Amino acid sequence: MLELRRVSKHFSGIAAVDDVSFCARPGEVTGYLGPNGSGKSTTIKMITALLEMTSGQILFDGKLIEDDIVSYKRRMGYVPEEPYLYNHLSGAEYLTMVADLRGLSSRIASGRIDGMLRLLSLYDDRHAGISGYSKGMRQKVLIAAALMHNPDLVLLDEPFSGLDVGSALVLRSLITELAARGKVVLFSSHELDTVERISNRVVILHRGKVVADDSIAHLRSLMELPTLEAIFSQLAVEQDSNTLARQLADLIYA
Amino acid sequence: MRRYVWQLLQRAGQRLPRDFRVLHAQFLLRVIDLEALSIDADIPRFLGQFAGVLIMFSFLHAFAVYVAILEYPLRLEHYLISTMMLVAGLITVVSWDSIFPDRRDIMVLGPLPLRPATILAAKLCASASLLGVAILALNTAPGLVAPLLLGQLHASIFGFFQVLAAYWITMVAATLFLFCSVLTIQGVASLVLPYRFFLRLSAMLQLVCFGVFLTVYFFEPALGTLPELVAHQNQQVMAHSPQFWFLGLFNQINGSLPAQLSWLATRAWIALAAVIIGAGVSLLLSYMRVMKKIVEQPDLDPTRSSRRLIPRLGGSLQAAIATFCFRSITRSRQHRIALAFCWSIVFAIFVSMLRRVARNGPEKVSLDLIMPTIIMMSCAVLGLRGVFSLPVSLKANWMLRVTQLRPTTGYIAATRRTLQLFGVLPVLVASAGLAYHFRPLSHAYRHIGFLAIFGCILVEVGLFHFDKVPFTCSFVPGKTNIQVIFWGGAFVFMMLSLLFGMYELKALDRLSSYAILMGCSMAVVGGLWTFNRIRARTAVLYYDEVLPEIITRLGLTFLPPAPAAEAQKVEHV
Repeated sequence: MLELRRVSKHFSGIAAVDDVSFCARPGEVTGYLGPNGSGKSTTIKMITALLEMTSGQILFDGKLIEDDIVSYKRRMGYVPEEPYLYNHLSGAEYLTMVADLRGLSSRIASGRIDGMLRLLSLYDDRHAGISGYSKGMRQKVLIAAALMHNPDLVLLDEPFSGLDVGSALVLRSLITELAARGKVVLFSSHELDTVERISNRVVILHRGKVVADDSIAHLRSLMELPTLEAIFSQLAVEQDSNTLARQLADLIYA
Repeated sequence: MRRYVWQLLQRAGQRLPRDFRVLHAQFLLRVIDLEALSIDADIPRFLGQFAGVLIMFSFLHAFAVYVAILEYPLRLEHYLISTMMLVAGLITVVSWDSIFPDRRDIMVLGPLPLRPATILAAKLCASASLLGVAILALNTAPGLVAPLLLGQLHASIFGFFQVLAAYWITMVAATLFLFCSVLTIQGVASLVLPYRFFLRLSAMLQLVCFGVFLTVYFFEPALGTLPELVAHQNQQVMAHSPQFWFLGLFNQINGSLPAQLSWLATRAWIALAAVIIGAGVSLLLSYMRVMKKIVEQPDLDPTRSSRRLIPRLGGSLQAAIATFCFRSITRSRQHRIALAFCWSIVFAIFVSMLRRVARNGPEKVSLDLIMPTIIMMSCAVLGLRGVFSLPVSLKANWMLRVTQLRPTTGYIAATRRTLQLFGVLPVLVASAGLAYHFRPLSHAYRHIGFLAIFGCILVEVGLFHFDKVPFTCSFVPGKTNIQVIFWGGAFVFMMLSLLFGMYELKALDRLSSYAILMGCSMAVVGGLWTFNRIRARTAVLYYDEVLPEIITRLGLTFLPPAPAAEAQKVEHV
């Protein structure tokens, strides 16, 4: 189980993440939602240990992650929000490098890389430079790199970004499948419909604070709202979207 | 003064079409696409610093001219022309890709209402501006001192103006010749080859040109007197060397060219005309073709094989780091150029040694073997170590941080192995081949044994405080005061290596002395290795963060002038 206890992160005195606490359990998909700038990616970067917390604790399977960060990293797979990759490598070279850095044996690594590239429809372009990949192809490379070592904790930050409909459907099923096999899955997304379909529970963040942490069904009944979109709008959207759109159109015509 | 000149230029520039001005400012900033040279996207400051370095050399040249031009006029003139051509050549190499639009240009500028001719003109003018600054800055002082001194020989006031005109025309012509030659090569290659091959060949051509310019500059024979220039055995060298053609051109314009050398000036004029026409035609033809191809042809190239070029030495971490380094160096243009600077010295020394081996019979082991191989080893290892400090895509560092599962010692060991594999080993193999020419063979190979240990010492020195994965940390210009370190270090190193070479030469004759030398050297390697290893146990790997983006101000007339505080804020958003 992944557990965050009163985690905060301040940048130059400004709280990007403020006293956030929640749990993501094995066998469950936890959706992590929030408007732009609410602190989702910052939280996930702290969970991956890319960013240091200002205060608080992060535990995985009951142990503080900083106590044995290497063992923790071995069990973690991460798809970042931005597809930053080494553009001078090809897809296959990048994955081989990640496998080598993760200490996978050559035999296992080559089998998994080949298989993943085939299943993600990247096999034909595996020797092409990543600089030439589309956004969706880069995203697939990131997904393959995050999963090839069979991690127990899967952290996905906007994993559907750039994926075509078919690939998004595959990824959606994959997330459910991974959770069903006992993995802890935490994923952040702006696609509320997808989150509603696959998440067992959601954590909604607004201005760095958790404003909801519950199962979707329970939130629906509690707030007497029909959809996750409506719940999200009520909790985390400050301005009426129709009014804002009208103001923008007026500005163009002014 | 600088501000006044800049304002004058800006005022003159405002008469040009606005789209041209905007593009020119953008392209001028990107002419040299090296992160290491970038200074906050400030064009005047960049050009000012660039010119400052050249003006410094200019005064050194002026001093040399003052001291020796009347005694060795031809040698000095040849030196000044060669240096101008080297500087122009290096600028052309560094700005290799600046003439042709890249995908980013096409995607950004394509949808805008701009004529391709405007883009081409702006790109050409941006490169020409940089070369213009180089010509002016490098010749500021010698461009006046040389005509003043040489003008005396004409015994009339017109003599000064004639030499002055000859000097500046020659320098501009020599620069133009090199610039247009490179453009012609690129233009023809882009016309003849499929776009994909052109891109690959272009990178190789860039490196070849870099090596050729440096090799020619350092190893061209210095023919400084008229008898040397007219000597039969030197005619072939002069016939193939543009520096001598332009030497002929200079003397033809100032009216002091002997009849026997008039063919040099003729050759210069013909070559200049040929490359200007060649560059113009090939560039115009290729420009439209390349622009279309960038859009039409996908960047994907799925036909390449996945052959592993580097043997898998060591564990998976060492393989990963070594392969990453090899691919970064071979595929990143910026790193190739930086490394080529050091390795072209290695290559030039190797070629000159090879030429010597081919010409002469077996020679006795002397400083002629010891010194060049030590310099080759030093340039190779320290050059490689220097390039490791230049980052490749800092934003992609996250992957190395997330996958950091082994202790720091493993990463340091992997870097060590990489330096040994790509720095020490190639020089060792090349030196071993050269050593076969020297006698007695046992002495020659004793030196190779020592050279291997010396390489390992350099590697360990290179690892001092290097708690990083290669290519993952940024090099901040100005922070390390690289000019002082480089020139100071080079001088001290040359002195020390000369003394040490003499000592080694003596030690090679006596087995006991050689054993002591090797024992001491191995003890140094062991000591340094232990020191680095102990330090690595407690060290924490350091990864650089990406600095905030810097917004470039194009200086457009319609933008209101920003107050100082506000401008500061904008530039650091």
